[in-house]
Amino acid sequence: MASLSGVAERARGGLRLRRPTGASVRHGIATVLALAVALAVLPQVLSLYYIDAMMQVAVYAIVALGLGVLVGRVGLYSLGQAAVLAIGAWVAARILFASSLPFPIVLLAAGAVTMVLGTLVGAPALRMRGLYLALITLMLAGAITVVLATTNFPNGGHGFLGYNGSLLHIPPIRRPAIATSDPAYFRYAVVVAALMFLLVLVHLRTRPGRAWAAIRQSEPAALAAGINVTLYKLWAFALASFITGVAGGVLAGAVHYLYSIDFQTQDSITLLAVVLMGGAYSAWGAIVAALLLELLPAILHNAGVSADWLTILFGVGVLGALTTAPAGIVDQFPKDMARLGRLLTRLARQLGRRRPALERGR
Amino acid sequence: MPSWQDFQPFIVSGLALGGVYALSGVGIVVLYRATGVVYLAFGAVGAMGALIAWSLINHAHAPQWLAWIVCILFGALVTLAYGTVFGPALAKRPPLVKAVATLGLMLVLFGAMDLLWTTSGGASRALTLPTDNDTFMIGQVQVNYTQVIALALGIVIAAATGAFLRYTGLGTAMRAVANDREIAGTLGVPVRRVEAVAWFGCGVLAGAAGLLLADLVALDATTLTFLVISSLAAALIARLRSIAWTVVAALVVGLVHDLLTPIQSLTNYRDMTPFVLAALALLALSGRQVMSLSREEA
Amino acid sequence: MRTIDHLARRRGAFAHRPSALAAIALAAIAIAGCGSSAHHKSAAASTSHSTTATTPATTTSSSTVSASQCGPKPGVKATGSPIALGAIVTNQPGTSFTDIANMAKAYFTCVNDNGGVNGHPIKYYIETEQTNPAQIAGEAKQLVQSDHVLGLVGNTSIIECSVDHKYLASIGFYAIASGIAPECYSTPNYADVNMGPRYSSDGAVQYAISQHVSKIVFDQSNVPGTGYIAGGPDAIAKAAHVPIVNLTENVPISDANSVAIKEVDDAGPNGAVVLNFTPPEALVILQAAQKLGLEDRVKLWACSTPCNTDFLAKSLGPKWNGKLFVNAELMPPDSSNTPTMNLYKAIFKQYGSAVSGGIGSFSQMGFTEAEIAVHALESIKGPYTVKSVNAAFRAVRNFNTGMLCQLWTYGDYPVHIANNEDYTVTPHNGRMVLAKGCTPISSVDPQVAAYRKAAGMAPLAPGQPTG
Repeated sequence: MASLSGVAERARGGLRLRRPTGASVRHGIATVLALAVALAVLPQVLSLYYIDAMMQVAVYAIVALGLGVLVGRVGLYSLGQAAVLAIGAWVAARILFASSLPFPIVLLAAGAVTMVLGTLVGAPALRMRGLYLALITLMLAGAITVVLATTNFPNGGHGFLGYNGSLLHIPPIRRPAIATSDPAYFRYAVVVAALMFLLVLVHLRTRPGRAWAAIRQSEPAALAAGINVTLYKLWAFALASFITGVAGGVLAGAVHYLYSIDFQTQDSITLLAVVLMGGAYSAWGAIVAALLLELLPAILHNAGVSADWLTILFGVGVLGALTTAPAGIVDQFPKDMARLGRLLTRLARQLGRRRPALERGR
Repeated sequence: MPSWQDFQPFIVSGLALGGVYALSGVGIVVLYRATGVVYLAFGAVGAMGALIAWSLINHAHAPQWLAWIVCILFGALVTLAYGTVFGPALAKRPPLVKAVATLGLMLVLFGAMDLLWTTSGGASRALTLPTDNDTFMIGQVQVNYTQVIALALGIVIAAATGAFLRYTGLGTAMRAVANDREIAGTLGVPVRRVEAVAWFGCGVLAGAAGLLLADLVALDATTLTFLVISSLAAALIARLRSIAWTVVAALVVGLVHDLLTPIQSLTNYRDMTPFVLAALALLALSGRQVMSLSREEA
Repeated sequence: MRTIDHLARRRGAFAHRPSALAAIALAAIAIAGCGSSAHHKSAAASTSHSTTATTPATTTSSSTVSASQCGPKPGVKATGSPIALGAIVTNQPGTSFTDIANMAKAYFTCVNDNGGVNGHPIKYYIETEQTNPAQIAGEAKQLVQSDHVLGLVGNTSIIECSVDHKYLASIGFYAIASGIAPECYSTPNYADVNMGPRYSSDGAVQYAISQHVSKIVFDQSNVPGTGYIAGGPDAIAKAAHVPIVNLTENVPISDANSVAIKEVDDAGPNGAVVLNFTPPEALVILQAAQKLGLEDRVKLWACSTPCNTDFLAKSLGPKWNGKLFVNAELMPPDSSNTPTMNLYKAIFKQYGSAVSGGIGSFSQMGFTEAEIAVHALESIKGPYTVKSVNAAFRAVRNFNTGMLCQLWTYGDYPVHIANNEDYTVTPHNGRMVLAKGCTPISSVDPQVAAYRKAAGMAPLAPGQPTG
């Protein structure tokens, strides 16, 4: 339980960054290694089938990160992130068809529009408490899904909606000129994802992150300490919406063709499930979540295992995460490993102590 | 703009749809008032029960009444099992976490249903109830008794459980436990027994609703599982508090949904009705504290 | 701090783990005992599901054709090096085309059991997808690069043609498919045995017009390409001066009542309701119409080819005899007693346990595609490579499939609508029977006209309803 003064102190910490600890140095090295593998090794080693799956992993890692910020840092369980992703993809597709703006600008535009929409919608909704906020995101996602089913995604047509249902040849959504092939676009997606992760990390280490920590610990205490709770909650919404919008843009380029059937309510629910399983409190949790959501099904599909087993796994995972491992696999796994390690060391020590006794007793 | 004549048949079908929403909506509100959990797996449980009944009727050639009883019992037992295992484990968590946990149950059931009863594009399953064939006319529209039963059941259950929760000892105990489990326990309420009765009762309701919805809507796992989200809208409009208002809200949602059908410019968007109405209601009513807070909420 | 759970347990009040476990066990037994389809095959094939649709009675007793006629050497198992073929089919709630691929697989298995293709068995890889472009693109690459398939036979997908046609063009694949998306008919790399939603709906609308209805309501499922699909019926109705209303519904349909009422109201007593849905969705609408007592409030109901299954005829019941008219892209099985039809039924009976929809359009398509593929493969003299197999597919010309109105040609054209004449069937006491024989799809549909021109056929085939 933090004291009021402790909360206030933390919140007013300003832009001072914390000194790196041993753990965070290890984390940093692991991150750099993972990035190196993703950029250099994977595109050479994986088949195109798995490259396509990993592109999705990159996209959904960003989405999971956004949801993780909402759930883990501010306690907002959004049940509508698939709809937010859809909006980002829609905006990106519309701009890509309507103009020849460079791809990074399109991504930023998609992120910005999604951020504005997310904040506009989020603002009145923030008056509500946890359960109702979650349920209203579910309702809004349902509404957006229906709208998308009718307006469809842009496919090169004219008008605001940019959808022409009578086309005989649907043009594909373009990719950046430097990354048209699948392996190249995978690298591009990884770079964008890394940038989004960096953006979130900067937030977490500076004032917003401290404010969010204070709010998560005790909202009344944070209020009393002078933190503008509503502002920081909105900031979290805006950040999550922005990066999810950018992810939507990356998705548009990845799949070339967007269909409303790929953004259903069920997808929002499974997204929350994997974020809870992977761990909403760390960046690595988001990557684990994306691997569960996009790579695991691809592997199982190849092995001939029905995707239904995965749905069941996610359901069990949600229950497990909420009852026993609230911080997710990413938090639980090292703990379990550490526990295993301690068990093994203890056993080894006991054996070591017994051996001399045995020898003496000979 | 369509004429009154055009709207008329949709009033009847809208009320029938409202009855469908009311059935699930009432079930959710009742369970929330009794245990503090928004049971999002309500639809999935009912769907699985209905599919089991279907298998019994079509493969094991069991008599219909036996299949219905199995379906209702299945709903009751699964819900009871869930409540017994995960109720205490999550008791201290906020209602939000408890609701999200039921999503876990929903996913498990949903995956199991698709595994055991695979969907095929060439054929579909159907569950018929004997009341399907008894019909009467309202205006130019034919109504069957299954629709009447669905609507009536929603209303009856709303009234009965409302009275039960308010006027009986067990009902009061349920509300106390839902409001604050710890204090109710220290006051001498047999918490786990009370909760068990609440879960079991609502499981029965889920099973019965599953049968009726499978008949009225479709015997399809996806449709029935996610129908709960539209029904949830009615429950939310009633702020998860008033069972009577849930029924009214459900009827309004059903009516508006179907009345939009003949309006050309809006007809494709009519599936949004539950969501838009719920969102508007929640936003309009959230100015003040609008729900019964259990201590964990704060 | 002692929680109330502790207190409860100590006081011996409710409920302890044992009874909870018992409850779970009971439920588990209930599930295990009551789940249908006891075995679960891989995701590649749907589980066997004995619905009431697959009645053995549909195989005529006069059938003297045994399934072994499918191959050149009856009874001799093929043992040479396998020829790998692949298929990508949609399989998701509300839309599943696994029947088509499974029937093709049944045919290939039969051929493998009876001599193979010049002694070589066919190895058939079926990939299912859920209308996810990334997944579909990945699966195409999986089939080609990892499974090393030499050709694609049996592709049936809402969007696969759109997603993959450029890739197929780049690797020189010419697929034999049952098309749905526009690109299945408008690109060089796909040729279909069916007519697809647009041209099949054309046929249904044409039939309705031939019965002198005064208005048409065309309702279809809201899947990608509704504008393209509606383009054909619009053109045909316009040319016949019959007003047409275009509707779409989100699937799976959750409120069939309002859909049925809307359709009937819009059509009026002398109008026709034409549906373009998969069988379960069409059934839900028609049953709702019946429950509401609306089935006689329009002049007739019509449906594109997916409705052509005995399952639908059986589920609808006798009230719909002669009330519903279904466009049949392939020869009606219950009204035909030809050797090919009997072979199809025999293969279905012996090898088609995974085909859950039974005798009907979908499984017929699978049979026909496999038939064409085997015919093409048998013509290859040298080694079986991507080049030789796809060249053989492309070279198929005027082949009598025994299932279609016309001879089938792959053709080297920019547009492929090889099957452009249809039958019309109607339910009769649980089966689909012939209502009208081979009728060409009108060239009023500009795409059909374009194909006929490219293929060198007469622009307006005889028997074409005019005005």
